[in-house]
Parts: sequence; C-alpha cells; structure tokens
Amino acid sequence: MKFHWFAEASYPTLPADFREKKISSWVDTPRHMADPATVGEMCRMFIRLMQQADRDGFDGLAVNEHHQTPFAVTPSPNLLAATLANTTEKAAILIIGDSLALYNPPTRVAEEMAWIDCLSQGRVIAGFVFGTPMDSVFAYGIPPVDLRDRFEEARQLILKSWAEPEPFAFNGRFTKLRYVNLWPRPLQKKFPIWVPGSGSVETWDLTIDNDYCYGHLSFSGLHAAKPMVDAYWEYVAQRGGDPNPHRMAFTQLCCVANTDAEAEAKYAEAVKYFYRNRYTNPAYEAPPGYRSQKSVQSIMGHRAVTESLVSAEDRAKAASGELDFWDYDRLGYIIAGSPARVTQRMREVCTDLRIGQLIACLHMGNLSEETGEMNTRLFATDVIPHLRDLWADQEDRWTPQGLAEIEARAAAKRDAA
Amino acid sequence: MTPFETRPLGAGHVRLWIGGTGPTLLYLHGFDRHPGDAPFLTRLAQTHTVLAPEHPGYGETTPAHPLHDITDQTLHYRRAIEAWATGPVDIIGHSLGGMFAAEFAALCPHLTRRLVLVDTYGLWNDTTPLPDPFTLPPAALKSAQYANPANAPATPSTPGDLAAATRYLWPIPDRGLSRRLGFIRAPTLVLHGTQDGLVPPSYGQALAAAIPGARFVPIASAGHYPMIEAETTFLHEVSSFLA
Repeated sequence: MKFHWFAEASYPTLPADFREKKISSWVDTPRHMADPATVGEMCRMFIRLMQQADRDGFDGLAVNEHHQTPFAVTPSPNLLAATLANTTEKAAILIIGDSLALYNPPTRVAEEMAWIDCLSQGRVIAGFVFGTPMDSVFAYGIPPVDLRDRFEEARQLILKSWAEPEPFAFNGRFTKLRYVNLWPRPLQKKFPIWVPGSGSVETWDLTIDNDYCYGHLSFSGLHAAKPMVDAYWEYVAQRGGDPNPHRMAFTQLCCVANTDAEAEAKYAEAVKYFYRNRYTNPAYEAPPGYRSQKSVQSIMGHRAVTESLVSAEDRAKAASGELDFWDYDRLGYIIAGSPARVTQRMREVCTDLRIGQLIACLHMGNLSEETGEMNTRLFATDVIPHLRDLWADQEDRWTPQGLAEIEARAAAKRDAA
Repeated sequence: MTPFETRPLGAGHVRLWIGGTGPTLLYLHGFDRHPGDAPFLTRLAQTHTVLAPEHPGYGETTPAHPLHDITDQTLHYRRAIEAWATGPVDIIGHSLGGMFAAEFAALCPHLTRRLVLVDTYGLWNDTTPLPDPFTLPPAALKSAQYANPANAPATPSTPGDLAAATRYLWPIPDRGLSRRLGFIRAPTLVLHGTQDGLVPPSYGQALAAAIPGARFVPIASAGHYPMIEAETTFLHEVSSFLA
C-alpha cells in the first residue's frame, strides 16, 4: 500500500457570500477575487507542506492541473513538480496529471516530464488526464468532440518520443513534427503511468489495455465512489485485466487530530469551505460531446445507486457546506478523528474498494498551515505505519522502481553529514 | 407515409426529408436538431424537389468520409449533390447549415445555382461577440432563439446533435469562412430575423456585404428561426428569389 500527499490548492479567502451568490467557481469566476499576494503565500505554503510530507515518509507528492478556478490554483502541475523535484529527496513526484490535449505540441509534456525525471533522479510518475470539461473545453477551448482524439494522438506521440532512440517524424492529425528528438530522455527506462477518470468506460479500457494505474479522483464521498469503483473492478475482471490493487488510486479527504473533538475543532470550517465554494455553473460541467452516450448511461447507473444510499437533502447539504462535520465523516466525504479512528476507517475503505494507492488530501479549503502540518505529521507517523501491511503481498509496478535506492542514498548522505 | 428516407453516401448513411417535384432545392438545417416534418418544408416542396438531409453526427446520419474540418464537411455535401442531383441546385442554409451552404457555394460554384443564407453562423466580430449557445440556461436560450419563446418546438435537440455542432461552433464559430465569401458566384439572398439573439442581424449584414452582389433582407417578428416564426414572409422572400 502506498500513500501520496495531495491537496487541491484552493484559494483560501473567497468572500463569505461566494456560494450564496451562486458564483461559478470555474471558468468565469471574477478575477478581482484573486489577490496575487495571497496566491503567492498559499503556493509557498503548499510547497512547504509537501516538503514536510517528503521528510515525514510519504511515498509520493501529487500535483494536478486545473485552469481558471479558485478550487485549485495549479495551472501548470509541471512547475510545481519541478519545484518539488529540486527541494525534496525521496518521494515520488506524482504528476496526476498533464492534460494531454492542451499542450501544443504535446512533446512539451514529454520534455518536461523527462526533465523533471532527470532533476528528481527518477522519481516521476507520469499522469495523463483528459481534464474536466471546465478546464479542457471551456478554459482551453478544445471542441468536446475532438478531446479524446487529441488526447490519444498526444499520448502516442509522447510514448514514442520517450521510447525511440533515433529522431523520427510524426504526422498526426493535430500535430505534425518533422523532427522529434527528445532532449533530455527520462532517467527511468519506463515511466509508471497513471490515468485518472470520472467513470468514462473508454478511460477504463485505456488503463486496462495499457496496464496503467486508474485514479478515481473525486470528492463526492464513499457512496458516490463505491458503485463506480466496484463497477471498475468488475469491468477489469470482465476484460481479463490485472486485479492488483496497486493499479487503483483513490482520493480521500483526511482530517487527523489527537482526538476526535480536536478534529472537529480544527477542520470543520475548512471542510465546509472546501465543499461550499465548489459550485460550478452546471452548463460548464456537461457540454455536449464531452462524454459518449455509453459512458453517460454507465455513470447515470452508478449515480442511481448513490442516490439510493444518500438522501437528496444530505447530498445538497454536503455540496453547499451545510452538513454537520461528523455527517461528512459518516457519509464518507471525509475520514476524520484520532489516528486510531482514521486508521480503522481507512483500512475499511481501502480494503472494500481495493485501493493500493491512496491519495490522501491533507489540506483542504482554507485550513491553516499549522493544522496542515499536524495532519501531515500524524498521518505519516500514526496512520501510515499501521496500514503498510495492506496488499503487501502484491507487487507495485505503478510507482518508480528506483525509489528504495534513492531513499537509501539519501539516508547515507544524511548519515555522512 | 413518412417523407424521411435513409440513403447510403460514401461510407455513411444520410437520413433526409424528401418532398415535391421540380428543380432540386437542398435545405441545410441549423445547429440544433433537424426541423423534422415542418410545414415550411412541405410548402417549399410545392415548387421544388426538396432534399433536407440531417447533417453527419445528427440523428441517424453518419458521415460519408472522416470529418476533421469544414473542408471535409463541405465535400460531404459535394458527394451528396453529385449523387442525388444533376447539375447545380438551389441551396438554403440556416444557422450552422448556412455556414455549410456558404462554404459549399464558395468551393463548388459549379454545383450551386442560387443561394439563400438564413441567420448564418460563420463570422466573428470582436465588437459584437456572439453568446455561447451551449451554455445559455434553457429559458435564456429560448429567448435568444425566438422572438416569441412560445414558438419553440416541443422536441429539443439531443446531446448527440449538439456534440456534432461543436465541431464547427466551438469555442468560436469561425472556421475561416470570411476568407472565402468573396469566391461565391451564385446569386445570394441573405435573410435574417431582426430579433435573433444568437446571431444578431449585424452578422447577416456583414455576410451580405462580403458576398459579391448579395442582398440583405431583414425579417421582422422573427428570431433565429424565421422559417418557423415568420413562415409566410420567409417563403415569400425565398420563392420570389428562386423563381
């Protein structure tokens, strides 16, 4: 079982009536609300927290790509990844991921990941994403009907540019390059590749056909995730794919404190801020052509199961930040409390969903840095060690293979000093 | 008997409304669904053989060949006209279909007799940016589409129809038509609903100004669909032009 540190780098000082006014948190959020000095502060804080996570023993540091949103001010995950590659020592740099359809030419992704792999001594996990509709088809203007074709062509080009020893020509529909010749080549012989999704069957096929790690990255709670994750594993079985839990990544908001009471006191406002300020104009969430009819039907089926488990009232309250802190916990939106409680709940979830790569979201909304530090430390020292036995009998082919060696080198360096 | 039939075309199939006798008239529908068995089509069929196909990707129509861009789309209709008609045909293009019709007239002058463009997409003017038809809430969309929203048909477009439209309208409905309008040789009539909230009449005027010899005629009491909201005026203008 592997544990990766993650946070949506949420802008922390949105106005109190942001939700009430139904301002969309994506695409056309008023720009005057973003204070550049605050953005600088928050970015420095996230970098410090991830540096701490590296020291505390997390297996990976996850960075992601979103555009035109205070929900996650991370327009270029590679910039953040480069910063971490240069200031951390052991953890995998989990780029989850670059939105392949948005890079022109997509060799940019291949070059930057290769460069970060060199800089980090071979710690990169390469994540490829389609991007949310808000990011890819609204903020970056890709026609929804072209998104999958662009992604697929870019993926082929990137893989070939990592693998080919000689310069080659690439005559794609969207990208035409006479000379593809990557400088540098990546340090790892073969990148571990992850592809997050939100339930599209076509993405499942992609991960199964290529032995990628699939990521279910959602914050809608266990009851929303379970039907979809169960369906994913059923689909893997049907297709004869590898049922190894390490090929499944899952995001979970976690709020660890010394006691349950302290958890509520320290995290309740941040959790509510996180959910309250995620409202997005529905028109930006489901543009025509973004999902195939097959996937729409499949997702509707999972949703029906979720809706039978969580009342409409609870779902509405959860989304507007009005649920009681412990109700968020009960419904699986968060896992909160003392290390012992969090360990037990986490074991249940990871066993139930067959999760081998946990992406623990240890900062959320407007949480203070101090509490983020406590969360990171307690999770690393009092939760992770008690869960290491999970899936220990299964090989993990989806994280960088040289991490143990890198860690040993770092330890030797520390001892020498 | 249904006036719809499905014909093979290249590697695909085209579902089309067919009616009437006389000179061939190709009707290319707008960005949302095919108008179906609409009264204005029946009335056009009183003087013409009307062929009103569903565009590739809409309803049950599949493309004749891979469609990557507006040129492929234009050649889809060149195939169709070469298969279905002899010699040049009259063409009415509405909305997105207007973009297709204008492209066709510019690239296939030998197949175009007369051209009618109605509330046509295809241009972009920074000083009058068009609203985004894919994100307007339902009520606002209806108000933009119709002078009187009560005139909206009961059956909405399917997500599949709109997905097909995004290939040409997303994120900006400009695929370079303005560079080609000067190549149109067919006599052209540009009709435009005065209350079109999706494509304002100034776009129709600009279109007419860029096509050699084209005439602009505003249609009162109509939004994006003059053939529905001002059927009689629309048909009067069309038939006197095509006569």
